[in-house]
Amino acid sequence: MTQRQVQMRLGLGALFASLFLAFFAIPTWVSSPSNVGNVILSPLFWPYALAGFTGLTGCGLVFSGLRQSRHGPPVNAPSEQPGAAWLRLVGMALIMGLTMVLLPRLGMVLTSMLVFVSTALLVRTRHLITALVCAVVVPLVLYAFFAHVAGVAIPQGNLLRLP
Amino acid sequence: MSFVDSIAAGLSLVGNIESFLALFIGVAIGVIGGAIPGMSATMAVALTLPFTFAMQPITGILLLLGVYKGGIFGGSIPAILIKTPGTPASSATILDGYPMAEKGEAGRALGMALWSSCTADVISNLSLILFAGWLASFALSFGPPEFFTLILFSLTIIAGVSGESLLRGALSALLGLLLATIGLDLVYGTNRFTFGDPNMMGGLNFIAVLIGLFAIPEILAMVWHPTAHVGKARSLGKNWVTFAEYRRSFKSIVRGSFIGVFLGSIPGIGAAPSAFLSYSEARRTSKNRDNFGKGEIEGVAASEAGNNGVAGATLIPLLALGVPGDVITAIIIGAFMIHGLQPGPMMFILNVDIIYGLFIGLIVSSVFLFLIGTVAIRGFKYVADIPKRILIPAVLVLCIYGVFAVNNNIFDVGVMFVMGWVGFLMVRYHIPAAPFLIAFILGPLLEDNFRQSMLMSGSDPTILLRGPITWFFWTMTLLTIIAIVRAGVRAVKNTPLFDETPEN
Repeated sequence: MTQRQVQMRLGLGALFASLFLAFFAIPTWVSSPSNVGNVILSPLFWPYALAGFTGLTGCGLVFSGLRQSRHGPPVNAPSEQPGAAWLRLVGMALIMGLTMVLLPRLGMVLTSMLVFVSTALLVRTRHLITALVCAVVVPLVLYAFFAHVAGVAIPQGNLLRLP
Repeated sequence: MSFVDSIAAGLSLVGNIESFLALFIGVAIGVIGGAIPGMSATMAVALTLPFTFAMQPITGILLLLGVYKGGIFGGSIPAILIKTPGTPASSATILDGYPMAEKGEAGRALGMALWSSCTADVISNLSLILFAGWLASFALSFGPPEFFTLILFSLTIIAGVSGESLLRGALSALLGLLLATIGLDLVYGTNRFTFGDPNMMGGLNFIAVLIGLFAIPEILAMVWHPTAHVGKARSLGKNWVTFAEYRRSFKSIVRGSFIGVFLGSIPGIGAAPSAFLSYSEARRTSKNRDNFGKGEIEGVAASEAGNNGVAGATLIPLLALGVPGDVITAIIIGAFMIHGLQPGPMMFILNVDIIYGLFIGLIVSSVFLFLIGTVAIRGFKYVADIPKRILIPAVLVLCIYGVFAVNNNIFDVGVMFVMGWVGFLMVRYHIPAAPFLIAFILGPLLEDNFRQSMLMSGSDPTILLRGPITWFFWTMTLLTIIAIVRAGVRAVKNTPLFDETPEN
């Protein structure tokens, strides 16, 4: 991805976002009382103003992108194995999604242990034993602090109930 | 309340083991966080924030200020030893610090970095104490129109934190402003982008957004490229800095400190430009200017004084006006809010004990920085040896606990994950995250003060020009915008058109 591609993609994205906000998102998801006397005081005014500025910024990005060379150097260092890198990212998304599902069911401590181990495996740690020890110790220490020092009601779950 | 009374009130608040312990631990965490390449002082402050919820406001804020101060110095350790600045502010330290390390004088360079950092820190703190109260008393006469123009001017600071592209910085800020509109309307209480979900009615949680933007992208970057290069620590050598060398560099240190104070008190400029300016001034005026860039100890002193001089001064606009000067002070302003405090001129009247408690804490932090820094220089090897692929899962778990602890709400964890992906995309597309965060904080204040002004005047916009204070901020805003546009036009002129190459 060259500098030009970055500017163009961002510019077009901003233009699309601006149109989406102005014609769909704001009319649908922002409500305003019918008795607002002045448009400036309306809850709609600020979002519309921001949508307009987003559109202007998008135009600026497209314009500056058009001025840049097509054959510039890539802005990001290429990944050695892009396929594997994308798979790992999908894996991380799954871990995050599962965290949201498991947190209320397994509790924060057990879920965090699983998150630790799976993330450590995902980033291909060479210290598997250390990772396993830390996966148990770190969530327990954090639980002890937040539950007993900070007084936070950490979700316990059904499988494991800690004091 | 007289000055002595204020000092006494501040002392009564912080004169206990708990406060000083928090400060000490904060400096230690900051030095370690700053010394781990890829961790940064910003991330260290963000990750420490959830631990302050259970503390007294003053203790929690002192802990964060300690992390901030320690982090700025800590960044110089890997900059000198492995040519990898722990924080962007330490980039200038590499110029002479790393050549010294290559010559086997790393210990000498680190010693000078510590001494000059502590000196600059003291000067910066004294400036804060001197100027913040004066500025706050001036700001007491501000009403909504004055605050609106001030915040509008503060938003131009985004130009300073936008990095390579101002337009991308503007886009990032607009995204932050848009996200800040989520929740109930400030005047009418109607829904804005809440999608009927009660969790969204209070707006997005600041801490979830913050940690999502700054910590999660680091985790995703590690997942994307797990074997990113981690440098090797080198030995410190046998030579240590002497008092004669400190005395020889003293002029550059003091000059750099004042450069840091001046640039730090202007929102948005930050520590890195200050360090480079201090370095270039030292090189311009030094007798050893030919040795700069080849391992000159005065160069290390000047750049470290420049970046540490900023640390106290960035708190001047934060405490006096309630405007964050950079990303870290934006996080610290969040800590104030969580503890029910609103930084700004009224704080100098309502919470004068906290203000003076912070001043006392900041002065003491310089001493702690010296003590901890001395140990950290020798212990860096162990910090650098922490396997990053163990550290990253630990950071993820810490983020989950920390974000949940803010409101006891799992929804916030989800917000953090989503913002993490947004942050990762921003990194991939080189969109700076700092404007997003600053706009996310200032956005509601800007809108609130604008609408209050309009309500006051019956929608007459001339209220926004009602006196010399508003004129001053309008002029400053216009001047800044002109400067930004001129710089942008110059940059565009220097960009080759289409596929034009230097040859044709």
